[in-house]
Order: sequence, then C-alpha cells, then structure tokens
Amino acid sequence: MSFQLQMQCHKQPDVLERILRVIRHRGFTLNTMSMTPSHCGGKIELSMTVSSPRPAHLLITQVEKLHDVVALRCIDTTSNTDASSY
Amino acid sequence: MNGAEAIVQTLVHHGVDTVFGYPGGTIMPVYDALLDSTVGHLLCRHEQGAGFAAIGYARSSQRTGVCIATSGPGATNLITALADAMMDSVPIVAITGQVPTSAMGTDAFQEIDILGLSMACTKHSFLVTEPNLLCQTLHQAFTLANSGRPGPVLVDIPKDIQQAPASWHPPPDPVLDGFHPDKDAHNSVDQALELMRSASRPIAYIGGGVNMARATQALRHFLQMTGLPSVCTLKGLGTVPPDNDAYLGMLGMHGNRAANTAVQLCDLLIVVGARFDDRVTGKLDTFAPDAKVIHIDIDPAEVHKRRAAHVVFHQPMPWVLKELSIALPVNHWPGHCQQLKEEHQWRYDKPGEAIYAPHLLNQLSRQLPDNAIISCDVGQHQMWVAQHMAFQHTRNHLTSGGLGTMGFGLPAAIGAAMARPDDTVILVSGDGSFMMNVQELNTIKRRQLPIKIVLLDNQKLGMVRQWQALFYQGRYCETDLSDNPDFITLANAFGIGGRTITHRDEVTSAMDEMLSVSGPWLLHVRIDATENVWPLVPPGAANHEMLEQHS
Repeated sequence: MSFQLQMQCHKQPDVLERILRVIRHRGFTLNTMSMTPSHCGGKIELSMTVSSPRPAHLLITQVEKLHDVVALRCIDTTSNTDASSY
Repeated sequence: MNGAEAIVQTLVHHGVDTVFGYPGGTIMPVYDALLDSTVGHLLCRHEQGAGFAAIGYARSSQRTGVCIATSGPGATNLITALADAMMDSVPIVAITGQVPTSAMGTDAFQEIDILGLSMACTKHSFLVTEPNLLCQTLHQAFTLANSGRPGPVLVDIPKDIQQAPASWHPPPDPVLDGFHPDKDAHNSVDQALELMRSASRPIAYIGGGVNMARATQALRHFLQMTGLPSVCTLKGLGTVPPDNDAYLGMLGMHGNRAANTAVQLCDLLIVVGARFDDRVTGKLDTFAPDAKVIHIDIDPAEVHKRRAAHVVFHQPMPWVLKELSIALPVNHWPGHCQQLKEEHQWRYDKPGEAIYAPHLLNQLSRQLPDNAIISCDVGQHQMWVAQHMAFQHTRNHLTSGGLGTMGFGLPAAIGAAMARPDDTVILVSGDGSFMMNVQELNTIKRRQLPIKIVLLDNQKLGMVRQWQALFYQGRYCETDLSDNPDFITLANAFGIGGRTITHRDEVTSAMDEMLSVSGPWLLHVRIDATENVWPLVPPGAANHEMLEQHS
C-alpha cells in the first residue's frame, strides 16, 4: 500500500533525519519527498510518499511522537482517503 | 555565570541531588562547576555503569536520573543505557560534552556525532549551539523526559558553549490545563463498562505503565472493586500486592501456568499500561484468542500495534481506572482462576543436596522487609527472581525488561542505593551478567554502599545454554564459563567481603550472615549448571503450549 504523508515540522537541522529513520525502522519505504519552507516562521512543510505492506497507523503514531513534528496528515494514495486513523 | 554553571544551576532547580558520570576533556567545565554546587556526583568506573546507575536511581525513586559523560567514547558508552531506558520508558537526562563548535565536523580528537547516534535510542536529543539556548534546552529536556510516556533525553553541549557567558532563568510556568474528559472519553467509558458487564471471563493484564502513570493505588482500588483476576508483566510485578487472592502471577514465556491459562481462556482482556510484548504473547495470533480488548495506555503508538483493541483510552490512567471501578456480576470465573492458582503453585521440594536457586530466592524474599529493592541482571536468574520473589511495589524490582541488558544489575543497584539509602538493596546476578559491569564494584567501594550481592554461579551463560539444550540439539557453543575468576577473591580486591556456598544446608546461615553485615557483601552461590527455567513457552508456540520440566 502507498501513502502520502504531509507534515509540518520545526525547522531543525536533524528533523528530516529523524523522520527518515523512523520510516525505515518501522518497515516503510520512502518513494518520493519534497521539502519547502512553511508560511509559518521557523517551520518546514514536508511531503512524502511511502509504501509498505504494513498499515499506515503503525508509522503515523510513531512519526507523530517526534518532538519536532507539529502536524501530520496521511492519505491513502490508492483510495485518496484519509489514512490517519486506525 | 558561564554555561557550565548554568547547567549545574538547572540541575539544582529540577531537584537533582545526585548525578552519575565520568569526567573527560570536553565535559571538564561542568565538572569544575559541580565542585562548587550542592549536586552530588558519583564517579562510576564506566559510562555505561553511570547510565545504568541513573536508571536504577530513577526507577527506584520515580525521579529523573541524570548521567554525564565526555564526548566520543564517553558518549558512545552511554548508548546501551539510553537504549535500555528507552525500551523501559525511564526518565533520564544524559548530558554529554562535545568538542568545541569550531572543531565539530573535522574528526577532532574524541569527536563523535552523538546526536546522530542517539536518535534511535532516545525520546529526543538536543545539540546546543548557542549559549543563550542552553538553559531553556535543559529545562525542555527535563520536561520531555517526564511527559507522556517517559524516556531518555540527551543534551550534547560543546565545550565552548559550557565556557561561554550564559544566563540562567527558570523554566516558563507550566500551562496547568487540568484534564477535562470530553464526550468521547465518556463514550469510551460507557463502551468499556458494557464490555466488562457482559464478559463472563474478564481478566486484567497489567504492565509497567501503571507505576509510570502513578496509578498504582487506582489500579489496586479498581481490582478490589471489580474483583477481577489479574496477571502482570515482568515490569508490572509489584503493581498488584502478592497477597491479592485474585492475582495469578506473571504471564508470558516464563510466566506461571495459571496466569497463562487464564489469559488464554479469557473473553475480555483489560490491558493496563502494557503493550503485548512478544515475550508476553507468544505466538501472537493464538494469544487470548477469544478476548475482546480494552487497552489503557498513554502512548497512541502502542494501541493497535500488535493487537487491535475494541475500546481505547489515552486519558490519564487514574481517571480511567476510577471510572471503570464497578462491581461486576458474580459468576464462576474468579473461582476457576483461584483453582488454577492452587493447582499451579510453585514447588520447592526438589530432591538432592545442591542449592535450588528458585527456593533460595523465595527464602530470601520472605526474609526481606517489604521496602527492600531487588536489582537483577538478565538471564535465568532474572526469570527466577520474577517467578519466586514477591514485590510490594514496582519501584522495588529493577530489571532490564525491554532491552534485556546483561550488566544492568550492579550499576542499577548502585543507583537505587543512592536514591533510597535507608532501604535494603540486593543485587541478584548471574556469573555471565556480573562480569559485564564488574568494574562498578569499585563504585560500591568508593561510597561503601551496603549492597548485598547474591551471585548465582552455574559457570554457564545459563539461558543461552538452556536454549542450546532445548532448541539446538545440545550443541553447546561458547556458553561455558568454567574459567570464571574466583569471585570471593575478586570481591575482596574491592574491599568487599563474601562467602561461597555449594550445599543446600548452608543457605540459611549464609543469608543470615549476609543480611547482618552492615556494609557490602557477596554471597557466591554455586548452582547446578544443567538447571533450566521452567515453565517455558517455546519460541513460536502459543502460551498454552508451555513446557514443564518433565516434558
């Protein structure tokens, strides 16, 4: 299954590294990624597509725990529906 | 005030009375500042020992443990302890020195990217790059370590930041927005109560999260009101008083057969501060196959992770347990659990003259005061401690649950002895684990900490040998430790007295002697090398497929 993650994060030098580590460790593959400055000061917007046989909530709940992740939305790219909840 | 003095001032502000550490080049300004402060420092003989001592301090006292190390090897030596604290959700603040900012990224002497290394084994980690961010970063570290699901936080501080002028300020006032249950929370309570009322075989599965949520009393009240049978995980031991009639003991791979059987039979599992760990569930899809699940855990990542739940609570655990504390309909189920408990009592009547470790530990447990702390290492002795010793509180049982770290016990006992100097501290170790942080005997010597060490010596890596015997056709590979040192001579070298016993009839007098000594003591217990931990759920099997000794 493929999911799109849309995140707003604090602009910290290590935040991307932390998110990528969690994606790998929790059994997801990163397929695409883009990063732009946020309109809110001191933040960035991240968009990623990931895939895995595992359900999305196993990744989302782990990424949401990261200190510098401010907001996260997950969309199932097959059905184009919100995949954030269990 | 310089940065180092601001660091120490922050420790004082957060009520830290003792830190555990080891000095070195890039952390020297902090050590210099410690000289003029009220914060005590215990010099351990390895940074890993300092990390585990901080864990022992934190777990035995429910305060934040603090450990300090220099850059490079000092910092990397903390990693295992941080991973241990991460897996067992222990609030630790680790402070590491770093090479000066101008030298970072140049492969300077004793430079390592500890921020990068710490990502997988901390709740969060910080690198302080500006003196004016130092104070608020440290306040944040203490807040993060203790908020939500607790865990370790590392703060890496370059030497020039420690030396630069800095100001100190208190943390911002916390936003005291008390818990106000919303409609969803009340709906979940209604759903949970409906499940509880309609279940015919409900059981509570209790983990270490209860103590961390400071909900032990609420949990005990909940069990009393509902009359529910209960089981505990390794880290949950002590949450339920051992004399609770409906308490069935530890579940899982080396759990009590009564506990595992009852869980397999239940139709409602009320999971309180536990996470369906693989050592608990055995083969996951056979675990409590008929059970609906109510899962109470502050960490959303633990819910639906290994087992879907029907009702979920992330609200403060004391509130949830209070709301669920009702009298349940009376049926045959508690009586059936009671019968299981009676049928599967531990037995200590093993024939022969050799010392039977489970019996010795049970005897020791009955002899100790209720507030005694037992620290243990990892392996067979750890499971025997869990099975055969009784705990009145989880704070009295220090064990490396999630990471299963050999070498944990001795330094953790040291941390506990510092945190609770008026309570008896016992270390139960095995000959494999003991040697992994044996240098910390000198930390005991340094402070003359009255830790009593019970060393169960089978001259083997016992648990690995057991698995080689049972699952690798007896092909024993590198589990023989018959070249162990003379442990009494070793203890003596650190100024610690001791005695070796080999026969059952020596046990009582040896324990009396150990407990009567005012200082540290080593009781070296030689046990049968072929002894196994029973019962055992084989890897990949269901919990009802436990093996017993005769099988």
